[in-house]
Amino acid sequence: MLKRLGEKPDLTQTTVSVGEASYPAPFETGLEYAAPARGVWNIVHTGMLVPESHEIFICAAGCLRGVVLTAAEMGAAERFSTVAIRENNVLDGDMEELMIEGVTDILNKLQRTPRAVLVYTSCIHHFMSCDVTRCYAELRRRFPNVDFTDCYMDPIMRKSGLTPDQTMRSRLYSLLKPAPVDGMSVNIIGSDLQTYPDCELVQMVQQSGRTLREITACKSYDEYQLMATSYLNIAMYPAAKAGCEALCERLAHRCLYLPFIPDYDDIDRELELLAAALETNPPDASALRALADESLFKARAIVGDAPVAIDYTALSHPMELARLLINHGFNVTDLFLDSISTADRDAFLWLKRNYPSLRLHPTIHPEMRVYPRDERNTLAIGQKAAYFCGTCRFVNIVEDGGLHGYMGIIRLAELITDAFENPKDAKIEIQPKGLGCAGGCCL
Amino acid sequence: MIQFAVYGKGGIGKSTTVSNISAALADAGLKVMQIGCDPKADSTSSLLGGRRAVTVIDLIQDRGRDSIELEDMVNIGYGGVVCVEAGGPTPGLGCAGRAITAALELLHDKGAYEKLAPDVIIYDVLGDVVCGGFSVPMRKGYAGTVFIVTSGENMSIHAAANIAVAVENFKNRGYARLGGIILNRRNVKNEQEKVLELANDVSTVLVGTLDRSEVVQDAEELGKTVIEAFPKSDMAEQYRGLMRSVMKACESEVD
Repeated sequence: MLKRLGEKPDLTQTTVSVGEASYPAPFETGLEYAAPARGVWNIVHTGMLVPESHEIFICAAGCLRGVVLTAAEMGAAERFSTVAIRENNVLDGDMEELMIEGVTDILNKLQRTPRAVLVYTSCIHHFMSCDVTRCYAELRRRFPNVDFTDCYMDPIMRKSGLTPDQTMRSRLYSLLKPAPVDGMSVNIIGSDLQTYPDCELVQMVQQSGRTLREITACKSYDEYQLMATSYLNIAMYPAAKAGCEALCERLAHRCLYLPFIPDYDDIDRELELLAAALETNPPDASALRALADESLFKARAIVGDAPVAIDYTALSHPMELARLLINHGFNVTDLFLDSISTADRDAFLWLKRNYPSLRLHPTIHPEMRVYPRDERNTLAIGQKAAYFCGTCRFVNIVEDGGLHGYMGIIRLAELITDAFENPKDAKIEIQPKGLGCAGGCCL
Repeated sequence: MIQFAVYGKGGIGKSTTVSNISAALADAGLKVMQIGCDPKADSTSSLLGGRRAVTVIDLIQDRGRDSIELEDMVNIGYGGVVCVEAGGPTPGLGCAGRAITAALELLHDKGAYEKLAPDVIIYDVLGDVVCGGFSVPMRKGYAGTVFIVTSGENMSIHAAANIAVAVENFKNRGYARLGGIILNRRNVKNEQEKVLELANDVSTVLVGTLDRSEVVQDAEELGKTVIEAFPKSDMAEQYRGLMRSVMKACESEVD
């Protein structure tokens, strides 16, 4: 869909009312645009969550640029190395030797041997049918004290099977070695950000006398390995579900998928599921509902009738959030998303019936590069919404921000209030990659 | 479960040989899976009454990996032989080696080997080991033994020697070992001697010999294997003898 330069941009593709939107794909897909709102984590950030580990990327030099910049930006260059593939490696057929000798050379030169190495192979290994299984076998023979796992920087896998995001979150726990299950600890799997400590989920686990383990809180590789002793794995972030299920199957753990859905009935249902798994009782929902209502109405009083925009990178269920906020008097006007998830379908249909004029916008459509970005009075929830609205009043969270349950909603109401009262410099806040990573627990 | 691969120059008679071995094994009561690893995708046609099977690559291109079921990829042929064709790209475009890899990966991902539980899997692989994809069937987890089909023609012997070198090069990787050479006669001068010399040069044995016979073409015209079309013929007996020799060579590896 290339157009002659100088033609007037066609903005008709950048907005559709929810009443006219189709499910699950309200917009055409094709050439993609990436807005300079970079807070969502990538495979480099997520891999760094394994304590005492080292990442090695093996691919053509041109493809290394992005991951090198990520590692440098997050201050993790010393835990990151690369092996560059050249044309002669393809012609000579020594791709596997390059992988073995390249990783060996890096490990021999590191001042401190890492406990684990995440090796990222790329498209070219896939195309060339490289026997990476053999490479890992040889590396394990050469470095018996290092745990290796296979990770992927392979865009050709995007349209089938697991997405790169799902795969990375799955590989993150592939290093866990089977261990006796103690029944006294519970894992949260696949969340890049530490779970908000006040939320009911954390409280219930702790009150049941159990230890809650999250990779985001692990300070050592040994502590990370203790996650193998937990009897229950909980996935909260949608992209973590597949990896959590795979882990549970491999280590014979119990599995629960409890995403942050900002809907009271869903929260109650999830807390009951958790209570059953913990063999305890769920908290008093009516009291929590009242608290959440109070927080939301309080935030509404401050925000007033200001337009509210939400994007999918902030919260995985933007349509549920829109419904919740509308039901508490907020003037939700715009949603930025590229597809509608199954979990959001019910809210989508509700919005379609009750608020058909609510506007939907894509985030990756090429014409979004010229979207006016002049809705400066808008309160945005999420970096992309902030960018496209051009507002400095925004809630700066990504990937659900560690929020969950009623306390997640209460915390979100506080963040909304703070965002409205304390404008931020969006250009500075949303450009760094991996929000919450630099200086956080992954380093 | 025994897995072996048959390599050889294009047009040398691999698919005919492999299909007759499959049919003979099926007659002997074994559950057989034959996987054609050739862009021509005609490895299993004589087991399927002359019909060409839908290839795995066609399925991937038409429907995408996620919506393909194991049942879509397999066809049941003579004697219950499970037939799979990897397929390949448009001639002159795409990557045939990648197609083999993609097909074998998909079979693995769909649990083909566990669900179908064949006693014997035979990979029918095109020509030289020209790229990584063509070596996949001889890797760990796939074939344990490789057989090479050749005639006494120089080009065929040249291709066979290249394949033998590739197998030798991969020996230290724990890949398949060379089980022997199958002579498919074209009745060229000194044919037996030339192929025995090749076997000697690459430190292997002549595991079987097949005569040139019109019966083979007659069966092909009928869209059948010799085993099915002319079970009492001398050629059928030669294929059964080859089947026993090949299985013996594979079993010695298993032992």
